[in-house]
Amino acid sequence: MNRAIAVAVSLLVGTLGLASEEIEKPNLSGVWQVLNTANYNIEAHMAQASMQLMEGPFGPLPARELVPLGAVGAVPSGLGVVEGGALPYQEWALAQRNENRANWLDRDPEIKCFLPGVPRATYMPFPFQIFQGDSGMLIAYEYAGATRNIPFEDPGEPPADAWMGQSWARWEDDVLVITTTGQNDQTWFDRSGNFHSAQMTVVERIRRISPHHLDYQAEIRDEKVFTRAWSMRMTLYERIGTDAQLGQFKCVEFVEELLYGHLRKEPVSDTPLQQQQP
Amino acid sequence: MKILKWFGIVFAGLLLLAMLGYGFLEATKRVEATTPEDWTPPKTSFGHPSFEGVWSSATLTTLERLLPVPFNKLNLNKLEADTIERGFRRFFEGDQAPSDPNAPAPEAGENVGGYNTFWMDPGERLMVVNGTIRSSIVVQPSDGMVPYRDHARALLDDYMSGVAGEKARLDGPEQRPLGERCIVGFGSTGGPPMLPVLYNNHYQFFQTPDHVAILVEMNHDARIVRLNSEHLAEHITPWLGDSIGKWEGNTLVVETTNFHPSQSFRLAIRHQLYMSPEAKVTERFTRVAPQEILYEFTVEDETAYSEPWRGEMTLRKSNDPIYEYACHEGNYSLPGILAGARYEERKAQALMQEQGAG
Repeated sequence: MNRAIAVAVSLLVGTLGLASEEIEKPNLSGVWQVLNTANYNIEAHMAQASMQLMEGPFGPLPARELVPLGAVGAVPSGLGVVEGGALPYQEWALAQRNENRANWLDRDPEIKCFLPGVPRATYMPFPFQIFQGDSGMLIAYEYAGATRNIPFEDPGEPPADAWMGQSWARWEDDVLVITTTGQNDQTWFDRSGNFHSAQMTVVERIRRISPHHLDYQAEIRDEKVFTRAWSMRMTLYERIGTDAQLGQFKCVEFVEELLYGHLRKEPVSDTPLQQQQP
Repeated sequence: MKILKWFGIVFAGLLLLAMLGYGFLEATKRVEATTPEDWTPPKTSFGHPSFEGVWSSATLTTLERLLPVPFNKLNLNKLEADTIERGFRRFFEGDQAPSDPNAPAPEAGENVGGYNTFWMDPGERLMVVNGTIRSSIVVQPSDGMVPYRDHARALLDDYMSGVAGEKARLDGPEQRPLGERCIVGFGSTGGPPMLPVLYNNHYQFFQTPDHVAILVEMNHDARIVRLNSEHLAEHITPWLGDSIGKWEGNTLVVETTNFHPSQSFRLAIRHQLYMSPEAKVTERFTRVAPQEILYEFTVEDETAYSEPWRGEMTLRKSNDPIYEYACHEGNYSLPGILAGARYEERKAQALMQEQGAG
């Protein structure tokens, strides 16, 4: 009897061909988060005292402004998420990255609560939620209230550069392939100064590997900055039960003192920007 | 925010023009699309009525009924609507005409305005709800005005007086409206209730079996509505509040509470609204035609209003995608506003010292 039902079902599925294919696409809706330290540095790295260091009498020390943070300001180690070793920077770009790193406090867009760009939004230490609809999907990120509206068809050339770029998605079998272009050159890959140009194309490939895990791969194509295309890869973990709810981290208000404190009628703190702008 | 005053003057001028022209205009026939009575909304793959896509609330209709006689009634006839719309059209056309290259330079210190109509997109039509042309979004109370209690009205007036002009509050960023700070969009565009503003009036709906997410164009905010869920703990008060929803037939009913205390004053050029953090907003979304979502809402707030008030709007389908509205990343206005205030202070101080020395 069971066999008869199975045959009937397979016949039905065969007859419905296209419809069954559409129905069987994996549903990626849910609240997801990485469990890695890629936002500190996408490359493999040791733990260190601080994101920004200065020369000390017997070796590097945390930068002066970061000393009060103590262990909270230290950087946890990470095995890295870049496939195939070091990032293939062009020579000038590697120098730029190192300069970025040395000036982290002034330059990392995360410090100013700027939109994170793609793929950094994925591995910020915050969850994000996928709403997979029939004609497109929304990814809402807890960090900075960033969002990506992603249609399931190519909308054509992006009309202008944007912080989160323009994305569209298609299925390659059970892999969701999201192509993002039109990002500006203001976002970074991590806190370590790794960067890209506005010519970058990001191709994300997302595949469900268990009921609560996604395999996430992001290929970076940016001929202006790198010598070849390269990829990063990591696992996305689903938040389930009462954890499966996005909080809110609209950090704009948290950086007003940093950005505008020196413009108060009566300034109350001594921010780096104030030092720059007497 | 001098543009507020400027827009008010233009708006009043347009009304005057409209009234002068009233009676001389030919009634243009307005052809409204009719939806068959047996029309049912399309369904998502999981069987919910589908709102998928981009919708616009752009309209010339204002939140409160601000129009003078004979337009100060909920439903306008075609002639009345054409008169008002033509007035706006003329204003926009005039403003978009090339500038006179021989015009003299403005007087030093003259207010040249914030931006011209090139930057605005408030729609070209009054809102049509259930086949009737509306003069206001507020339908209850019947006078089309938000029924503020005296102290709430006073709070709003006081807040408004501190936005610009002599009483402007400029001591720090926290005193400025949320839109200027790029924390949420202007006015109540993110809501709820989600009200039309001068531009960026688009919303995109995404649906899953247990959520409806509404992407608010300004500022790239996702309103995440949890279906058949419970509200957050009382002291958790997110921007745009905490929304839970359920389906009642073809209608999505969304209840929002837990409003952020700093979101009480919702300031836009097109509307100024006060809601206390105690408010409860109930929204009802019903797709009534292929191109229309009927959007009804009720605002209950005993501390602010003498009675609950209701609004009705139509969200119209847009074929265009929503493009990123980044705000904070390029916010030159807020530091400019604060730096301008500091400059004025230094100038005044220098003048005083000079006078003291003299």
